[in-house]
Amino acid sequence: MVGLSEGEKHFIRGGIAQDLRSDGRKRLQFRSISVETGVIPQANGSARVRLGATDVIASIKAELGKPSILRPDKGKVSIFVDCSPTAAPMFEGRGGEELSNDLSVALQRCLLGGTSGAGAGIDLSSLIIVDGKVCWDLYIDGLVISSDGNLLDALAAAIKVALSNTGIPKVSVLGASSDEQPDVDVSDEEFLQFDTSGVPVIVTLTKVGRHYIVDATSEEESQMSSAISVSVNRRGQICGLTKRGGAGLDPSVVLDMISVANSVSQQLITVLDSEIAAAEASEE
Amino acid sequence: MRDLQPSLNQTQRVRLQSALRQLHSLPSSSSSSPLSSVAVADPIQVNHDDNILKGHGTLDCDGEVVATLCGVVERVNKLVYVRALRARYKPEVGDIIVGRVIEIAPKRWRLEINFSQVAVLMLSSMNLPDGIQRRRTAVDELNMRSIFEENDVICAEVRGFQHDGSLHLQARSQKYGKLERGQLLTVPAYLVKRRKQHFHHLEQYGVDLIIGCNGFIWVGEHVEAGENVGMLVEDQKKTSTAEEESWSFTPLETRKHICRIANAVRLLSALGFTLTVEAIVDTAEASLASNIEINDMLGAEFFVQTAEREVQRRASMVRKKG
Amino acid sequence: MATTPMTYSPSQGAERRQKQQQMRRMSQELDWKRSDGRSFHQCRPACLQTGATNAASGSAYAEFGATKVIVSVFGPRESKKAMMYSDIGRLNCNVSFTTFATPIRGQGSDNKEYSAMLHKALEGAVILESFPKTTVDVFALVLESGGGDLPVIISCASLALADAGIMMYDLVSSVSVSCFGKNIVIDPTAEEEACQDGSLMIACMPARNEVTQLTLTGQWSTAKTNEAMELCMDACSKLASIMRSCLKKSANLSS
Repeated sequence: MVGLSEGEKHFIRGGIAQDLRSDGRKRLQFRSISVETGVIPQANGSARVRLGATDVIASIKAELGKPSILRPDKGKVSIFVDCSPTAAPMFEGRGGEELSNDLSVALQRCLLGGTSGAGAGIDLSSLIIVDGKVCWDLYIDGLVISSDGNLLDALAAAIKVALSNTGIPKVSVLGASSDEQPDVDVSDEEFLQFDTSGVPVIVTLTKVGRHYIVDATSEEESQMSSAISVSVNRRGQICGLTKRGGAGLDPSVVLDMISVANSVSQQLITVLDSEIAAAEASEE
Repeated sequence: MRDLQPSLNQTQRVRLQSALRQLHSLPSSSSSSPLSSVAVADPIQVNHDDNILKGHGTLDCDGEVVATLCGVVERVNKLVYVRALRARYKPEVGDIIVGRVIEIAPKRWRLEINFSQVAVLMLSSMNLPDGIQRRRTAVDELNMRSIFEENDVICAEVRGFQHDGSLHLQARSQKYGKLERGQLLTVPAYLVKRRKQHFHHLEQYGVDLIIGCNGFIWVGEHVEAGENVGMLVEDQKKTSTAEEESWSFTPLETRKHICRIANAVRLLSALGFTLTVEAIVDTAEASLASNIEINDMLGAEFFVQTAEREVQRRASMVRKKG
Repeated sequence: MATTPMTYSPSQGAERRQKQQQMRRMSQELDWKRSDGRSFHQCRPACLQTGATNAASGSAYAEFGATKVIVSVFGPRESKKAMMYSDIGRLNCNVSFTTFATPIRGQGSDNKEYSAMLHKALEGAVILESFPKTTVDVFALVLESGGGDLPVIISCASLALADAGIMMYDLVSSVSVSCFGKNIVIDPTAEEEACQDGSLMIACMPARNEVTQLTLTGQWSTAKTNEAMELCMDACSKLASIMRSCLKKSANLSS
């Protein structure tokens, strides 16, 4: 996270105003995305997404657990992001903690819905095995290997691809007794593919001057006055919204940004789906 | 080939591999003797009769000369040393470098120049804004920030090493100084070889290209040497409204050229080719000729095409020599 | 597709203990077959690569069977102001495990014990006088922990240091052995490590024939210790030649 001089900032602002960014992209253009699945063999599902020089890995592990008393018919999902010092020396020890927490909270908000579990991008009721007794606990771990801006979008894309790669083992319930822990038999052979049609992607719009850009590099991010991360699913519904940055925004500007994010996200979903299909085809 | 790794499909990967193999099989233009690469702790062949001088990267271990770096063994008369292939930047007196100010200390600026230590630019090694040669007073010291601030990009020349090992720079000529209106790129330092000219004014594009020996490359709008650019930034601070700022933005045509040159530099550094003005301009011209969008220059197809073009260029050079 | 780790259903504890006891009984016999089909004195195939990350001065990725480690080296960089002036450079090591590295999901924090041991193993090999007043940072990240983690981390870290162009006396390679009753087994996997009677780990510089780090647990007779050490030193020198060929290969690519 190097600082930028006034002259460079002026140049970046000029580029964004003239719709020609430092690497030649237009304002609403993403960097090239490359996707790999199955990078962590011992996890249930995993994916590695490269967005320009930003490199993230998402891994998903499913373990058996007890559902919470408040929501006995839903499974549990927890999202945790770690910025490793291999990305930048300043992430050593507690240095990356603030960034990791920010990212974890933003991802939880966008993918998991409210505290009641309603409206979550991931269908939690598909994770239940025995109501009130046994459910699947999904642990989603994100790892940042290399950081060049726009970590949130890359992590959300990685989680979406990892979920499509995830196989939850088939469980058959034995023993219908009414005691605490019914016996379950976890199959080693059969797997259920996770349903990812409802999983949203996140598009971060960074406001620089009077214009918004998509997929900011770390230099452009240092320039931002404010940024909005919008999570949109395939049906065009907004699943979560996070505002970053200190500057205040006019409400009409916020609505405009949301509609722009909506249209951009449909393109992103299409690109991701084709990448997922290509990755799965190459695996077979 | 480290930073940019575009995702290549199968045919592109095959073409790239064959191009790289051809580049290795071509005899390199520099030395005619075969390269003898060593890794750490490999013994180096020496004739023990002569008194060989053990240079950088070597160590005497029980009478044997052993390498401490991974690289190539070079022999010059009686000196034997190991030259690392992906070496860090090693400053020499007279090098032209581009650096970024990270701190303002009493009577000096500290700059980050991609070296293991920070470099120092003394207030006395810098021309004052009014151009008069005079003794620096305490008022000058207080006004250092008006000349260079934190995070400014500066072009300077290496003056030398002080007795305590720190590196000193000087920026006394008109062509050195603050760089604005452009972008700074970082490439590995071993890709930049020392040449006679490091300042290049590409007239056909109206772009200034400064290739710093430390691997920092500046691509920006052309500025006449000595023009008082400092005034521009001060105006910016006063007029912060968008309209008045927009007239001082770089015009779109020049900006397109700047982006093209910058992408050419990124591409060549990703391929691991030496950065020379000719190579950069060739790549930019090729992209203009094939009508590739500026953004697509970083894509897979142009990546492979550039490698193939380099193969052809080197092959034709070898043919001309032989 | 994904493989199923061992800890799934709640009543796992008993099964796992049974499996371990079975393994112990088997390992006391002389002709015990290892789970991946290797013989007692056969190491896992080593897959090493340099240049894994692009932001670092040097980096390496190592895959030894199920153990995957990535190490990146930053520097030499300016030391923090708080550090006292020193004629020699500083080496700062940090080992961390990812949360998905172990079959049971762990905490993923820094492992201070491994960091200290990595520092001791590398300290003797790096020529600290070559970068005075500056610091070299070594960051190791274990992506998957499949047994024999620390030896793999040490070997991968010394490869990353060589890739970064830091001057070293020699490459450090490291191997560990486990002992099961009378048998000495080299390069144990995680299951074997869990039910071993004792272990010996050596980090050495093969060309100079110096040992930089040595840890031993369990009860060993002198004869067995000698035998284990000879086995380790031999394996270390073979591993060092693999590391050397990996460095030469990447040197050829970049020239």
